[in-house]
Amino acid sequence: MHRLGWWIALSIAGAALAEPILPRSDDEVVERLPPVVRSAAQPGAIDPDTAVAEARQWLDIARRDGDPRPAGRALARLAPWQNDARAPADLVVMLATLEQYLHRFEAAVRRLQALAAREAAAGRSGSASMAQAWLLLASLHRLQGRLAESDQACAQLQRQRVQPYADACFAENQALRGEFDAARSTFNGLLARNAQPGMRSWLLTSLAEMAQREGDHAAADAAFRQALQAERSGYTAVGYADFLLDQQRPAEAWDALADQPRSDGVLLRLAIAARRMQRPDAAALRDELHARYALADLRPESSGHDRERALMALDIDGKPPLALAAARRNVALQVEPVDLWLLARSARAAGDRGALDQARERARRIGLVDRRIDAL
Amino acid sequence: MLRRARAWRVIGLALLAWPLAGAAHKSSDAYLFIDSQGGRSTLRWDIALRDLDAVMPLDANDDRQLTWGEVQAAWPRIDALALASLRVAGCDWRIDGHALERRNDGAYAVIKAAADCRISAQTALHYALFADVDPTHRGLVRLTVDGGAPQPRMLVPARLPALALVNPATAAAASAAPRPAQAGAANPAAAQTNSASGVAAAGLAAATAAAGAAAVPPPAADGHAPASFLGEGIHHLVTGYDHLLFLLCLLLPAVLMRQGGRWQPVAGWREAVWPVTKTVTLFTLAHSVTLTLASLGWVRLSSSVVEPAIALTIMLAAFDNLRPLLLRWRGWLTFGFGLIHGFGFAGVLGELDLPTAQFGWALFQFNLGLEIGQLAVVALVVPLLLALRARPLYVPVVLCSGSAVALLVAAAWFVERTAQVRLLPF
Repeated sequence: MHRLGWWIALSIAGAALAEPILPRSDDEVVERLPPVVRSAAQPGAIDPDTAVAEARQWLDIARRDGDPRPAGRALARLAPWQNDARAPADLVVMLATLEQYLHRFEAAVRRLQALAAREAAAGRSGSASMAQAWLLLASLHRLQGRLAESDQACAQLQRQRVQPYADACFAENQALRGEFDAARSTFNGLLARNAQPGMRSWLLTSLAEMAQREGDHAAADAAFRQALQAERSGYTAVGYADFLLDQQRPAEAWDALADQPRSDGVLLRLAIAARRMQRPDAAALRDELHARYALADLRPESSGHDRERALMALDIDGKPPLALAAARRNVALQVEPVDLWLLARSARAAGDRGALDQARERARRIGLVDRRIDAL
Repeated sequence: MLRRARAWRVIGLALLAWPLAGAAHKSSDAYLFIDSQGGRSTLRWDIALRDLDAVMPLDANDDRQLTWGEVQAAWPRIDALALASLRVAGCDWRIDGHALERRNDGAYAVIKAAADCRISAQTALHYALFADVDPTHRGLVRLTVDGGAPQPRMLVPARLPALALVNPATAAAASAAPRPAQAGAANPAAAQTNSASGVAAAGLAAATAAAGAAAVPPPAADGHAPASFLGEGIHHLVTGYDHLLFLLCLLLPAVLMRQGGRWQPVAGWREAVWPVTKTVTLFTLAHSVTLTLASLGWVRLSSSVVEPAIALTIMLAAFDNLRPLLLRWRGWLTFGFGLIHGFGFAGVLGELDLPTAQFGWALFQFNLGLEIGQLAVVALVVPLLLALRARPLYVPVVLCSGSAVALLVAAAWFVERTAQVRLLPF
């Protein structure tokens, strides 16, 4: 895809992106190492349960630090079963989860569908692993704009009576389709019956995102705050920051992210907020962001980061045509509301009427109702 | 109660199903800067310290603060890993020095090495770094040949073939009984008792995966299984310009015949079939013989002899098209030159690290691949030549000019391959 760009980048920047370290003494610390999961088994001699446990530990590190490297190591732990049709169900679900984390959505969907067929044939559709598989499949279909398939996966959860997940799963899709009142009453009912912080945070974030699309800014703000009070998840913090930036409240967006690890996504929102607040460190943040992306871009494979690239081109660099190109590539991979919203905003900023219509048409075909896009 | 316990299990996993924004996008990359000048190559290889730490504990006192002293103590281990993770035919790397670099995703160990070998855009680089610990790792190469424009290349780690074969776990597991599907997945007690057979199961899964017998469709994202030897054979014929040019020189006059010292087109396609078949068969027989002999190690010829000799065969074949000298001896020439080309193929095969266990099978596949590639070229070229043979311009333009160009190109190759200079861009 960006073959020429890659060529140029690797030729020019390959060495330039590195600076020599010249330690003055043996005691000088040259690197702070991230946590590692030392394997209990030799490679090639690992049992599935140990492999899944170690992969989960690696993935937890990846999620906490917003770093894909540990996810690659988790994948390596499961590599012996990568193509094994008889792999245990929980291991297959873990593989699919890692693929989802690494933005290999199609691979994850195919893996889960094959697993579902296998387990149904063996009469094991009711296992806990399958419940997790359906939940993951429902969110993958939703992420790629297949709401009917997502509903079918939710129905499998319903069949197993795995609550509150089945109800929440349906309500998510209802919320996307603009059945706001029905979704709201489901979410509120589930909230009334659930005290678990992680679950409350999830439900409240779903409510907040729905209110955002509904155009009810006050309700969105309140739900985001409650969600963060229940549990400070990175996902919710970034979502709230995006909402605040949309509302032209950059100082609050900055505060919302102040305690988060500086993953690329977090750094990007901080840089946007800093720019709009005209903070003195805005230029330094922008440069750091550019350097990170330049290094990542040396790899020619797409890593699925066009969402962030579009946001950077639009809100940091002020280059709407670039943003529009990246937003278009991005919706080929994922079409969550935020992705279409970004496409619409980029189209608007680039003055491209046709692209804006395309974003609306895509939303209509998916069945997504987003009043922000309508109002543009 | 049971329902609740299950729900809790799902709760633990449910949030993982949440689409995650804000993840960093920088996976593990190593950077290889290769500079090849004449017969000498230098390599600068940057590997992230945090990646190295995942395979070999670098942090001697385990405080997760890596000091310069700890890195220095680890250099021998880092060198050993690096040298075992890159294989380039004919390159025997010597470590020349070390350094540290900082990139915005952390500190990198820098290894500098050199070898007395030539690396070009066509040279196969076998890369195995982190093959067992991170399948998302990539080696990003910037290759500069004789001061030309840098050429980027991306290396996907794969176990080096020779190493994979000595892995006792894989070998032992091939004969193990299949693991009962799904045993112990839901029951911790069963999982405990099952862990002993899990060792074999892991190896078996690897063996099954290697045999491609999987029913779950493999994800497309990283389909980087080692290419088959059949594929390598086809690849090396189609991208081996010198073999192609030789074949072309042999085929150009196959649609003509000599009558009274002049070229005449053959009357019909049937009259071209025999010369084409004879030419291709003789070439194939000959290079199969030397390819086998050289691969078995019974006959060895230095590439410094073989490579210029191949260029010479093209020059002679092209010259014979212009000024026919060999006439009915041409069949012998084809056979004799085929012998020389066989040594050239053997050189390629040497770079592939043929597994000793299935040597015969791999050799057969490789050779079959060469023949398929060759027949594809014949099927493409011969009908075209047949169609053009009666045109008045066939002899002066196609045969004579074509052969003259081939002669010049081959002469340039000959000079390049004897004097170690670069004349042609390919």
